[in-house]
Amino acid sequence: MPNRNPLPPLPALVATVKTRFLAADLTHPALFDSPAPAFPPNASNPEVKEVKLTWDIPVQVLDIENLSRSKWEQVEELEAVARGEQTKGRKVIRLPIGEEEDEFAVDGQTAQQTANGTDRSGLQGRGPAPLATTVNTASKTSTHRLVLQDCKGQKLYGLELKRIDKIGIGTLNIGEKIILKRGAILARGTLLLDPATCIILGGKVEAWQKEWVEGRLARLREAVGADNRNTR
Amino acid sequence: MTSVLGHITTAEFPPEYKKWDYPPPDRLFDAPVNVVVAADKKKVAENIEKQARYVNALCIWTDCDREGEHIGYEICEAARKGNQTLDIKRAKFSNIERAHIINASKNLINLDHKQVNAVASRIELDLRIGYAFTRFLTTSLRTLGGPFQSLLLSYGSCQFPTLGFVVDRYFRVRNFKPEPFWGINVSHKREGIDVNFNWARHRLFDRASVIILYERCLLAKKAKVTKVQEKPTKKWKPLPLTTVELQKMATSFLRMTGQQAMETAEGLYNKGFISYPRTETDRFDPGMNLRALVQKQTQSQAWGDFAQNLVDGGFQQPRQGRNDDKAHPPIHPITFATPSALNDQEKKIYEFVTRRFLACCSEDAKGVATDVDILYGEESFHAHGVVVLEQNYLEVYVYEKWTGSVQLPKFTVGEVFEPTEALMTEGKTAPPNYLTEADLIALMDANGIGTDATMAEHIQKIQERDYVRTVPRTNRASEGANDSEGGQPARGGRGGRPTRGGRGGRGGRGGGTTANGRGGLMEFIPTQLGVALIEGFDRMNFETSLSKPYLRKEMELKMKAICEGRTTKEVVLDESIQQYRHVFMQSQQKLSVLKTHASRAIGNQHSNPTDHPQRRATNPPYSECAQEEGTPIIEESGLVGNTGKEKEETIGLFRKESMPVAFVLANIPIHVSLTLSASTYDSSSHAPRPHRAPNVLSENAPYSTTWGNSYGSWGAVVMLYHSG
Repeated sequence: MPNRNPLPPLPALVATVKTRFLAADLTHPALFDSPAPAFPPNASNPEVKEVKLTWDIPVQVLDIENLSRSKWEQVEELEAVARGEQTKGRKVIRLPIGEEEDEFAVDGQTAQQTANGTDRSGLQGRGPAPLATTVNTASKTSTHRLVLQDCKGQKLYGLELKRIDKIGIGTLNIGEKIILKRGAILARGTLLLDPATCIILGGKVEAWQKEWVEGRLARLREAVGADNRNTR
Repeated sequence: MTSVLGHITTAEFPPEYKKWDYPPPDRLFDAPVNVVVAADKKKVAENIEKQARYVNALCIWTDCDREGEHIGYEICEAARKGNQTLDIKRAKFSNIERAHIINASKNLINLDHKQVNAVASRIELDLRIGYAFTRFLTTSLRTLGGPFQSLLLSYGSCQFPTLGFVVDRYFRVRNFKPEPFWGINVSHKREGIDVNFNWARHRLFDRASVIILYERCLLAKKAKVTKVQEKPTKKWKPLPLTTVELQKMATSFLRMTGQQAMETAEGLYNKGFISYPRTETDRFDPGMNLRALVQKQTQSQAWGDFAQNLVDGGFQQPRQGRNDDKAHPPIHPITFATPSALNDQEKKIYEFVTRRFLACCSEDAKGVATDVDILYGEESFHAHGVVVLEQNYLEVYVYEKWTGSVQLPKFTVGEVFEPTEALMTEGKTAPPNYLTEADLIALMDANGIGTDATMAEHIQKIQERDYVRTVPRTNRASEGANDSEGGQPARGGRGGRPTRGGRGGRGGRGGGTTANGRGGLMEFIPTQLGVALIEGFDRMNFETSLSKPYLRKEMELKMKAICEGRTTKEVVLDESIQQYRHVFMQSQQKLSVLKTHASRAIGNQHSNPTDHPQRRATNPPYSECAQEEGTPIIEESGLVGNTGKEKEETIGLFRKESMPVAFVLANIPIHVSLTLSASTYDSSSHAPRPHRAPNVLSENAPYSTTWGNSYGSWGAVVMLYHSG
């Protein structure tokens, strides 16, 4: 605690601690007193049909996948975004360029378009394509699978047994913290997530998130066995 | 009273710009443009001028759309040459019903110069851009030699985006990676009926996850009914017919191209059988007497009874679409045409227009839908059944079908039962289809490429230029038999998705919903030339590629802005010319990129060997004259089927009569010529006798006849020899 007088008010301190905690790597040895609340031994054993957690466990998200969509579908979408386009139904839409966003927000804003049609058409060259994270197509019936890590560094899959709205590509961050409540089901080495036992606290680890987003396309392409060069 | 035939005047460059090599094409962006009377319209113009001398007022009755307004202006100009003091008025009308016409003539207005200016801008831009890029392309690529020496490479601001759509889809199909998926299917037998319950998660792309969920269902043993609902459902009757819809339906169901459909429809219009076939309107003016039009159809052998039923009280006002071009009503029959008065094509179009019209004036098809939801373990499943009660409009509208499923047996909310069977299923995603003409029209429509009146021409043009070809859709049966919806959100063609009651006919512009399984459906595939042009441009002008619809769309928006008074012709011309000039300069600077792609298309030594060695595999199946020794470019042909790894494949066993047809349709003879060798079919052993005779098929073999002749009258097996 810095030697400041007066000390910062308590709520501010609590908020700071919370933010710092949510942005930290959970496996950092200094974070918890031992014994830290971790996955039970033998948790990843696929032979075990079902076991319930007997204590609450904080975990962090290392990876997220939408199992309802094919990887190739996601590849095509990311590549379109990288080209600066997006499709809406049959319509090919040009993605907004940087700060000129509002101009594109509504279809048919012709007044403005005509006014500065020349610079808008990107003649000066465009900024980098918007981050791939803007694309999130999780719907009510999507099923996601997460890679969850406890404070000892042990990893388990977490499968959405019931839809949890906060879980989605682009809405759930890498490094985000989750509390798995006592009673959560562990089946065949996979945690089954359900809103009652899966409390999402928020936060993210900035560096991990960045790396995840940047490497996503390459990972997806690799997973479907596509050459990692852009063939088109 | 006199008449005109479309535009009288044409825009052109002065004679000193007529040569292709000088002045350089970029000068065409600011060269003067002269508006002159078109050579074939001289008589029309003279006639108007002459007539104008003897009158003191002129009333213009051209179509009430932008082009019509401009033609009206051209008439004014011609007439003023003969008579400076002429009082000129314009009639505004959207259909030719008596009351409407009388009303229009009582309320004459002035020509709308904003609309005239919008069209004038469009004409000038099309001229400058089209000429500049066409000359640039043709002369620059001529130096590559080979087929380019004599090829005209036309550029049009609509043509290229249209080609772009075809190329885009082509690569989506070719680059597609199938992926396995898994699901759970529950069925239950009750009252002798097998009820199928579909998994709420539909499918997951991970086997282990599905196994876990499946196991938990089995452990639960019993399923519980959570919801039972029975409610009336409908299949909506179609919307009134627009041009775009006519073309889509004709290409999907009548075995015609959009162009043929339009020409035929125009013939029917000129004979007075149907209304004007170029319209965007999908709602009838409430004032129109539709019953009288229905009455006229009662004499038909085929649909007379249906029409009579409508007259006798079944008539219902058509649905109202959202589009109204304020110029023409939806396409409808004007009077009854006896079949003997029509040729085959006309019969098909007239029948379609009439059936569509009668369907519009009929009632939605009705049925009752039953939904049952169950919870099995933690997983939800859903069963859906439809019983069709009244066919209504479907009786006359034979292009759509609605067949109910079995009626579901009785289930009660809260009841618990043990399902007869629960299976884990497995499938594989399938690539999207190549574009059909209907798909292409829908894409152009959605992206503002061309007007409903010109789309068919643009499609025709890219075929004439040999940028794309059409081939019959083959059933790619081997792949995706289990899957009905690979990852292609933008597709309208292939059905497969279980159509639930009432969703069928909605959204008239939405696309042919039931194009499934129709024989003879043609698909568009780009030639290597087409691919080279699009790829070349994509790589040269990364920002504003001419292959994308944006620039053209902007142009359309600007025209609209002129019409609405938000900008002027001068501003728009200035801006657009600058834009395109910039793209032009970029293209000149990066000409080498385009040349690389183009020379790859002809496979000569200009190609850059370091660039994308794997591209070969994704190239289109044929080229103008692919000539690399021993490189079978047909290796992965989509036409033949994805043979990929196999050494050889039989692509057809046919008799002389059918052979030319098979190959003409497949459109592959030229390419086949260099990569196939033929073997005669030995009827005694039923084994192909390899007979390497590549010379049988000369490089420039005409598509069909030579083929048939070169084989004589025996059956033949054509083998693909992969040298790799």
